[in-house]
Amino acid sequence: MGLVHGLSLALLAAALALLPALPLNDFHLQILFTIGVNYLAAAGLNVLVGYAGQKSLGHAGLFAVGAYTAAIASVEWGISPWASLLLACGFGAVFGLVIALPSVRVSGPSLAMVTIGFGIVVEKIVTEWTDIFKGQAGLYGISAPSIAGRSFTNLHWVWFVGALCIVTHLMLRSLLRGRYGRAFLAVQMAEPAAQSVGISVSRYKTLAFVVSAVTCALAGAVVAQQNQYFNSDFITFNLSIFFLVVVIFGGSGSIYGPLLGSVVLTLLDAWLARWPALQHFSYGALLLFSLYLMPNGLAGALGALFRGRPKIFDRSQADAGVSVLAARPSAGDGSALLVVADLHKAYGGIVPVNHVGFTIGAGKVHALIGPNGAGKTTLLNLLSGHVAPDSGSIRFQGQELAGQPAHRVASLGIARTFQNLKLFGDLSALDNVLLGAHRHVEASFPAALLGLPASRRAEAQARADALALLADLGLGERAFEPARSLPYGLQRRLEIARALASRPKLLLLDEPAAGLNPQETHELGDVIKRIQTAGVTVLLIEHHMDLVMGISQHVLVLDYGALIAEGAPDAIRKNPRVIAAYLGADEDAATVAESVA
Amino acid sequence: MTAILQALASGLALGAIYGLIALGFNITYATTKTFNFGQGAFLVPGSLVGVSLLLLAAGKPHWGNLAPSEMTLLSYALATLASVAVVGAIGILLYYCAIKPFVGAGGLNWVLSTIGFGIILQNAALAVWGPASIAVPSPLGNEVWRIAGAGIRPQEVLIAGVAISVMVGLDIVLRKTRFGKALRAVAFNPQAAAIVGINVEKIVIIAFVISSSLAGLAGMLIAPITTASVFIGLGVALKAFSAAIVGGLTSPRGCMLGGFLLGIIEALVGLWRAEMREITIFLLIIIVLVLRPGGLMGARSVEKI
Repeated sequence: MGLVHGLSLALLAAALALLPALPLNDFHLQILFTIGVNYLAAAGLNVLVGYAGQKSLGHAGLFAVGAYTAAIASVEWGISPWASLLLACGFGAVFGLVIALPSVRVSGPSLAMVTIGFGIVVEKIVTEWTDIFKGQAGLYGISAPSIAGRSFTNLHWVWFVGALCIVTHLMLRSLLRGRYGRAFLAVQMAEPAAQSVGISVSRYKTLAFVVSAVTCALAGAVVAQQNQYFNSDFITFNLSIFFLVVVIFGGSGSIYGPLLGSVVLTLLDAWLARWPALQHFSYGALLLFSLYLMPNGLAGALGALFRGRPKIFDRSQADAGVSVLAARPSAGDGSALLVVADLHKAYGGIVPVNHVGFTIGAGKVHALIGPNGAGKTTLLNLLSGHVAPDSGSIRFQGQELAGQPAHRVASLGIARTFQNLKLFGDLSALDNVLLGAHRHVEASFPAALLGLPASRRAEAQARADALALLADLGLGERAFEPARSLPYGLQRRLEIARALASRPKLLLLDEPAAGLNPQETHELGDVIKRIQTAGVTVLLIEHHMDLVMGISQHVLVLDYGALIAEGAPDAIRKNPRVIAAYLGADEDAATVAESVA
Repeated sequence: MTAILQALASGLALGAIYGLIALGFNITYATTKTFNFGQGAFLVPGSLVGVSLLLLAAGKPHWGNLAPSEMTLLSYALATLASVAVVGAIGILLYYCAIKPFVGAGGLNWVLSTIGFGIILQNAALAVWGPASIAVPSPLGNEVWRIAGAGIRPQEVLIAGVAISVMVGLDIVLRKTRFGKALRAVAFNPQAAAIVGINVEKIVIIAFVISSSLAGLAGMLIAPITTASVFIGLGVALKAFSAAIVGGLTSPRGCMLGGFLLGIIEALVGLWRAEMREITIFLLIIIVLVLRPGGLMGARSVEKI
């Protein structure tokens, strides 16, 4: 793969170098330039739309930010063209933050609206605020970069944009193939699960907005400089739509989608320009029917034709890594790891967690049981930070967790699984586990962007460790299969693997045996015992009493939001209040039940 | 003061138009989680088909300007009904071409396909009617009415009257009738609705017909104010979309409320500084959505964990 990629890049560079030998006129060069500019804008937008899963219908606004920064920096402030380009990227990043600020708080159609609003506000400002932006009259005499005093010809512009595109591509490729790309996809596929492995959803969405803003602003700046003129007519709602179309038609979520999209759409546009009526019709038809034929865009359709060989797992890949379960830390001493006091959560009149207090001792397996609707999952959600409590305190190793967001709780060392599986379904089992290890893959953003050796080493080590863990849990053969294609029982186990990969001190399991057959349930019991041996404290919600009684040292019983009993399994089995809660019997019947037991 | 009154009247009329189209977004969004992003193009045949019928009835070619004497309230009403029927039928086409292939698939494909459908529709209209705009008189006359000193255009009164009646009618239909109940069932859970014997696809098609018809009606109502042309749609539909989102895409009443709010704010800001209208409105929308992501009357969606 790396070889093919390198060859393709070399070919592209060679083709660019050979341009002067081809019989190309200025019109052709302009088309090549436009392809490059569209690629720049779309490549970043793809990070936002295809990876982080956030739609934007306002990127014309960011294009404007770049273009006007370059224009005003040159015309008004007399800043050199090269510095203006950098400045444009900087302003792009700032405005990316500005648009991200409201955008990360909304989703779906509201997100579309916020981005449309941003685009239109920018469009109106540059149109109406003529003192600064000169409106439709436009800014003239924008100076263009030059090398050794020689200004760029059209050919040079194509080379320059081509170089920018290649650099952008390499950086984004490096970024998206590692922990950042995975985290973006995780945010798109399952936000709660992403939080549960310590990924701050809003931070990654913001990052994606900023990345897309920078490339889009760069595209705008380059256009303004090449044109040496820029006015408000460039900035329209249709431009925002066009960028989105390039990404989606090309194939969002594929690193090559924006390239295919910008090449095909720019060429089509230029070719059909002779017949304006036909141009619009075909554009409409393209939008309408192409996605019907190619739901994943051009890249998706081509990818299906050239699918590489599936990766095969072999033992040696895992041998280079260390499974989390192989750790042999000092055994838990039973001291208080988590202390919950007076925890309370109400939804209107329903009180799923009613002033609950208990202590989780380090190194033990704790079980939380109770009838359906007793509030067990809500309690777990409070502990993991997915739901904020109304009052009360959760102290974990002396640190207050109540009110902390889920990703923060996760980063302190509390991992969880979900009752209704929340795997990253389209990602491989390996990627799911790598996401679990997200916090432990040491790679700073610049290192990942530039593909520095440190970042590659961290990635390789994390991969080996993840494969070792998967092999340890009997999932090695399935490591490269998409999570959603695994049988149900293995999906449950994969979720445990993902949680373990974050190297938690406390593991919360929400009904891990739900839907498992007796054999799988038995194996699950063994897995939990191994987790305990590896020094991880466990709190599980479970209905299978055999499992609960077999593996746990401490049982908590919740009924109607209140903790009605806690203690050793044998004592709980005989507790009349627990029996009453389960059988719905009154005290007398409970006594009978007890005597029968 | 009279200026404010005048602005309120035109804001109300404009808001009624936004509200009508926004209601259309609500109805299809409820049933399919999609709506027609190219709705602006549907206003175009909405106005042009009706105007052409009136022109043909007056013995003129299908494009050209319409004189006030060539139209009565009755002929305007009939032309409007014909327009609404035509655009409603286009709604069926829209469903089969642009919605059905993508429903339930997630992603943004339906956004692009509906935009594509709109572009085709708009260019088809361009081929038939050309780029020139057609002046359309109001069936109630173009004389300005003086009410409390404020000059109010009769068409504004007509717009508000018709739009509000249609909204109240639809509100009753959605709340009280078997169809309304079926529509809400489909909105809540299509699979469950199908199990209890509701023809889900039929309900969805009707939803798209209603949504398109509303856009057609809006096009015909607004023509005497904006003139009829191939290019009137985008701006109006964009505001209507904003109205739906701000009011709450999941709430029919929220959509109507959003429409009126937007129309009135737009008119009042226009009184102060016309060029600040869009900037103010869209900044306000962003603020509202940050505070209430589901819109003013929309349901807060909570993901169950």
